[in-house]
Amino acid sequence: MSEFKVHHRDGEGVSVIDLKGYLDAHTAPDLENAFQKLINEKKFNIVVNCRDLSYISSAGLGVFMAYIEDVRKNQGDIKLTNMSPKVYNVFDLLGFPILYEIYKDELEAVGKFGPRK
Amino acid sequence: MHNKRPAQKQSSSYDLLPLFEFSNVVNSSLDLKFILDTVLLTVMGKMLVSKGMVLLTREKHGYEIVNAKGVDAGLVGQTITLTQVLRKATVTDRLSSANKPWVTFFKANGQKLIVPILAQGRVVGLLTLGERLGGKKYAEPDKQLIHSLVNLSGSAVEKALMIDQLKEVNRDLDRKLQELNTLFDLGKEFNVVLQPEKVIRLLTFSLLGQIGVNRYAICLGEGKNMQVVASRLEQELASCDVLLSLQELTRAESVEELARKKKFADVAALLRQSGIRVAVPMLVQREVKGMILLGDRMRGGSYERSDLEFLSSLANLAIISIENARLFRETLEKQRMEDELAIAREIQQGLLPRSLPSIPGFEVAAINVPSKQVGGDYYDVLAISPTEYVFAIGDVSGKGTGAALLMANVQASLRAFAPMGLSMSEATSRINNLTSQNTGQGKFITFFWGTLDLKSGMMRYVNAGHNPPYLFRADGTLEKLDVGGIILGLMATMTPYEETSVSMQKGDVLVMYTDGVSEAMNSKEEDFTEERLEEILRTSLSLPAGEIIANVRTALELYTRDTPQSDDITMLVVKAL
Repeated sequence: MSEFKVHHRDGEGVSVIDLKGYLDAHTAPDLENAFQKLINEKKFNIVVNCRDLSYISSAGLGVFMAYIEDVRKNQGDIKLTNMSPKVYNVFDLLGFPILYEIYKDELEAVGKFGPRK
Repeated sequence: MHNKRPAQKQSSSYDLLPLFEFSNVVNSSLDLKFILDTVLLTVMGKMLVSKGMVLLTREKHGYEIVNAKGVDAGLVGQTITLTQVLRKATVTDRLSSANKPWVTFFKANGQKLIVPILAQGRVVGLLTLGERLGGKKYAEPDKQLIHSLVNLSGSAVEKALMIDQLKEVNRDLDRKLQELNTLFDLGKEFNVVLQPEKVIRLLTFSLLGQIGVNRYAICLGEGKNMQVVASRLEQELASCDVLLSLQELTRAESVEELARKKKFADVAALLRQSGIRVAVPMLVQREVKGMILLGDRMRGGSYERSDLEFLSSLANLAIISIENARLFRETLEKQRMEDELAIAREIQQGLLPRSLPSIPGFEVAAINVPSKQVGGDYYDVLAISPTEYVFAIGDVSGKGTGAALLMANVQASLRAFAPMGLSMSEATSRINNLTSQNTGQGKFITFFWGTLDLKSGMMRYVNAGHNPPYLFRADGTLEKLDVGGIILGLMATMTPYEETSVSMQKGDVLVMYTDGVSEAMNSKEEDFTEERLEEILRTSLSLPAGEIIANVRTALELYTRDTPQSDDITMLVVKAL
């Protein structure tokens, strides 16, 4: 199993989380920690780049569900980008495209947050 | 269609080439929407009609409106029932009287003609058309042309329908696969996670992800002891008492379903107030050990039976892991306690004399059988001068390491004070002061000690609250040595300990013991009693000291049988030869 990595970078008032490898029950807590850290730092504009994400399980999707409300309550959002068809299929199967904005490209998603206040 | 010659003649006025093209176009596509659009628009164009609809056969006599042009788009999705099976284009006015409501419906929406879409003789759908522009009637040739056009597309529609069905089946399979993946993913992880909190966290994530729900509560425990361990509800549950009536639940149920059953109606109303839509029992061998409550699905849609089945599997998988984690923790705790007991036993055994000194003119024997839990029994025999020997016996309250350490304290102070030449009363006071400083609340020691002077044949003693030792005289009389004072360790000495002396003559037997002997229990939880002890001792007095102890031990074993020993058994016997 390929290793899971969460990498976080900041810029233009938007925080980007890069996911790599398998996001499943085993690695879900890593993503949870990343979200928790951003929320603690009051960074609510979040883009999750899934370019190197090779697999996502329901537990992985659950982490997005667990934090979306807190983030949106603070006028922020979690937007997703660069999904492989395989990963998108899981999102789609479970009805997530209705709940989350999904973009082809990271820059596009970052742009949707509008100018920095 | 050869019976009406004029019509056939007239149909030749229509160009056949577009008909061929049309057939090619619709039959080369598998996209149902495209096919239906093409058919409808082609027919509407040919007939100069501004209103039309396509309906697909959904069930027996049931037709769903899937395409509507020039009429209220809100009609799409509605299902109508037509009991009459149509074989050819029919004017809506002519539908049989059983379909009267639909005649009215078609009229209201301006639909004049109704045409069956046939594929291999089966009606796969209907096409309806409104009035022709200019009020032209649908003449027989027109109807035939429409009939042909529509039926050219029949097999394409059927194929596309099948493809759609396959796609749906495929998606259902994908969804099932995803559910299985989720169970597999969790099962794998639950096996290595041994903290209940973490299991609950992972369970929550999987619920949120798989079901797409954001309002939930997870409760754990049995019966009245159920507690909310994780929750996110608009209106939090005040307590799990409401769940008590759900103890009989054997599978996941929607609150809607529960409300219909009389015995669950009340709890269903309460759950609904908290925005809960589904209750999922967590079962271990059919017993409810927890409950998952879920609110609305964020992406909309209700809970299907298959969702409930999945939830039941997930809940049962999780509760087994939680139970395992709990058992693991208990085992660890037990292991830790056992380790501690082993240490206590080591301390205790280390404090007991490894061998007894031989005393001229006397026989000394002792036994200590520690119980499984390790009590705080202690005995000692010390030579404090060539002609003076100390015998001591004590019982520390409590068990385990604490008792063992307290005993170490008593032993150290006894060994320090005994040879100092103090009076026994004074030495006892000091031992008490020292130990009472070191003991915690409610800890104490019962203690007896005597100093035998070989020159005088007398033994001075102090009894600090210990079971009075027996001094069996050679003539058969029995003295109980009970002079002394309060037990050790409770408080600093206020009243001095009394000391007294007794003679030890030839044939006298001194028996010191702890309550582990007199209170040894049989299977009916009855004590061995001091009376029984006295009796067995009396019959053994002529034996050597070691055999007296052996006799008592045998009597105890016969009495207690297989009842586990609950306290240490300690005896010290001194016989004057």
